[in-house]
Amino acid sequence: MSDGLSGNDVELRGVSMRFGDFTAVEETNLTVEAGEFFSILGPSGCGKTTILRMVSGFLQPTTGQVVIGGTDMTALGPNRRPTALIFQNLALFPLMTVRENVAFGLEARGVSKTERRRRADELLDLVALRGQGDKRPTELSGGQRQRVAVARALAVEPSVLLLDEPLSALDLKLRQHMRAELKTIQRKTSITFIYITHDQGEALTMSDRIAVMNRGRIEQVARTEEIYDRPATPFVATFVGEQNVFRGRVAGVADGFAQVETSSGRFTGLNAGSLSEGEDAMMFVRPERMGLANGSGAPANRLSAQIERRDLEGPFVNVFLRGRGDEEIVMHLTNAGEAWRSLTGEQQIGFQADDALVMRSGELARD
Amino acid sequence: MPWSCAVENWRVTSLLRSYGRMLGGLFVGLVAIWIVGLIVLPQIKMIERAFIYEPKGGAAVQAQVDVDRITQRLFTIQYDIKDLEKQAAEGDAGAGAYAPGAKIGEDNTGSGVATPSISGASQTIEEQIAALKTEEAELQIRLVALEADELRLKAEQEAAAGYSFRNFTTMNEIHFKIFVLTLLYSFCVTLICFVVCYPIAYTVAQTTSRERAALLMLGLIIPYAINELLRIFAWVMILANKGILNAGLDAIGVLDFSEGETIRWVASNGAVFCVMVYAYILFMVFPIYNTIETLDRNQIEAARDLGASTWRIHRRVVLPHAKPGVAVGSIMTFMLSAGSIAVPGLVGPGLHPDWFSQVIYRNFFEAGDWNVGSAYSLALLVACIIFILIVMSVFKVGIRQIAR
Repeated sequence: MSDGLSGNDVELRGVSMRFGDFTAVEETNLTVEAGEFFSILGPSGCGKTTILRMVSGFLQPTTGQVVIGGTDMTALGPNRRPTALIFQNLALFPLMTVRENVAFGLEARGVSKTERRRRADELLDLVALRGQGDKRPTELSGGQRQRVAVARALAVEPSVLLLDEPLSALDLKLRQHMRAELKTIQRKTSITFIYITHDQGEALTMSDRIAVMNRGRIEQVARTEEIYDRPATPFVATFVGEQNVFRGRVAGVADGFAQVETSSGRFTGLNAGSLSEGEDAMMFVRPERMGLANGSGAPANRLSAQIERRDLEGPFVNVFLRGRGDEEIVMHLTNAGEAWRSLTGEQQIGFQADDALVMRSGELARD
Repeated sequence: MPWSCAVENWRVTSLLRSYGRMLGGLFVGLVAIWIVGLIVLPQIKMIERAFIYEPKGGAAVQAQVDVDRITQRLFTIQYDIKDLEKQAAEGDAGAGAYAPGAKIGEDNTGSGVATPSISGASQTIEEQIAALKTEEAELQIRLVALEADELRLKAEQEAAAGYSFRNFTTMNEIHFKIFVLTLLYSFCVTLICFVVCYPIAYTVAQTTSRERAALLMLGLIIPYAINELLRIFAWVMILANKGILNAGLDAIGVLDFSEGETIRWVASNGAVFCVMVYAYILFMVFPIYNTIETLDRNQIEAARDLGASTWRIHRRVVLPHAKPGVAVGSIMTFMLSAGSIAVPGLVGPGLHPDWFSQVIYRNFFEAGDWNVGSAYSLALLVACIIFILIVMSVFKVGIRQIAR
């Protein structure tokens, strides 16, 4: 199937989008590499769908250029771009059969009937829907419909596939399954995927790179692990994964580390935001990087906190604590036995300086 | 069927429950009166009339008129003979002493059927009497024959009167041609209406801003606040010989009024079509609008994204979705145009080819032949119902979808 299919790079040059007084997307420069699985992650209303619609051609950017495969396509309509869009609600044609749905793009290109049929069946094979071609989309399950939408989009041999939260309507199990399938299809076809989602789990599991957006602005573009381990802004830090946040003031900086005076104590962390002494700061620590600090080999930063609740998640235990400064602290402990059951009352906990990020105070993601 | 009955039942009971026995019963009763009194009974009456043949005119009536005329003539002849015989008797008796009397007699005869024989002195009274007697004898023979004829014809007509298909089968060739052409005209109006309405309905349905859609709809509805006849007369003003359209053409120099140049717009069916489309446009717009509005906009975008041209998007995605609306709109527009009397009647009547509704109108109100009028109406109704069934099968739309 990969014959004839290949990815193109997509470049946004100074692209912005305004609707009247409202700026949906601020001036953005972004390059998506050919054959990459690229996700745009952000809360609803952050402008990620607007970017997608500008790439697909449904929206004309207020300023800037959309360049696909080296060609400026800003002025071209969606039917003349090498992109295919998979809609959030899939937008299958309910009055056509599954095969007609898949073959629609070929029909529009004037491909003969027998050839259409052959290619549609081939694509249905690819998405594991052999023999379902004569059914109506409404007769299929959610996951099957999903795959029809993918096949329909692939039929036109796009070099860029745009996906607008296509998994949001599926239940958790199916969603996880489809993530793997989409990833497989992307590898097989080597098409550039641009995937829009507000689900960080989806973005993390599938993507090569992620752009995190907030309020019409891309806050960070980076490889998946970097987004998680080295978030660039407080928003990215708190939007992707869970974080413990300590607010305070920088008490001193040295060798790329910063000391922050918080209401629970003075902690040291990586000076990710290059802060200088006296600045308001936020310190971020992942729950899984926190641990009990009553044994030997105690970490650099220690604090005592009151255990409020323990929830068993299966492989790990969520421990909710409250610090002296009334901070809510979450700690993930590996479920390595029955030890966690006896955890109560005031505990010493701690974290390594390498696991804490110090940034300039800023907007956090809402829970 | 039992299922729909159950639904009906359930509705009536729920009506009774929500409005109580009294008010609920009143509603049901009023609806029953409305259906029976205003729909079922008049229709049954009309259909019955359509199948009752009422002899009017024809050979029997002609025979009756002839018989009457001959009877009258015989009566006059007999009177004249009597008069002449009296004159002859008096003339033998004396030498014109009764001349004034004779004059009176002359006057009397003069008031009857003309007896030129009296003024002419060339014939003797005896000869005159003889001529009249021969005529009387001839007429008597004809009368007997005619009376027999009349009886026979009357009997024949009476035998034919009552329930029969004669009101339909006696439709003459001209009327039948008008009937067929009217169906064709209505089809044309429906087609034009669709061509005009589909883009309007699509545009309004796809307008993103609610206010703009409401404004567009208002613009479509406002003309319908005006009485239908006034709307039609507005077009008469536009299309008349010295109307707005010709005046406009005069102003831009296409026509020259001073030379007496005008275009008789109303003399063609084009004018009637145009006014009908205007008069019935909403009946097409609304059903189509309602169906297109329910179309997921993403489907149109998906089709475009997959490379479909505008034409293909409409043919493959929008039109199939709008099918029930198009069917309903077509049926309504067709029925309204086929039955319209106001438009062909007001826009250049007699100048453009007749519509069947005009023929029906004339049967009812000019010929006074209600039975034939009913028969023609029924024929039109049946034709329209057949049209509906054809439309439904062509569009593959069921009653259920239409009701929606």
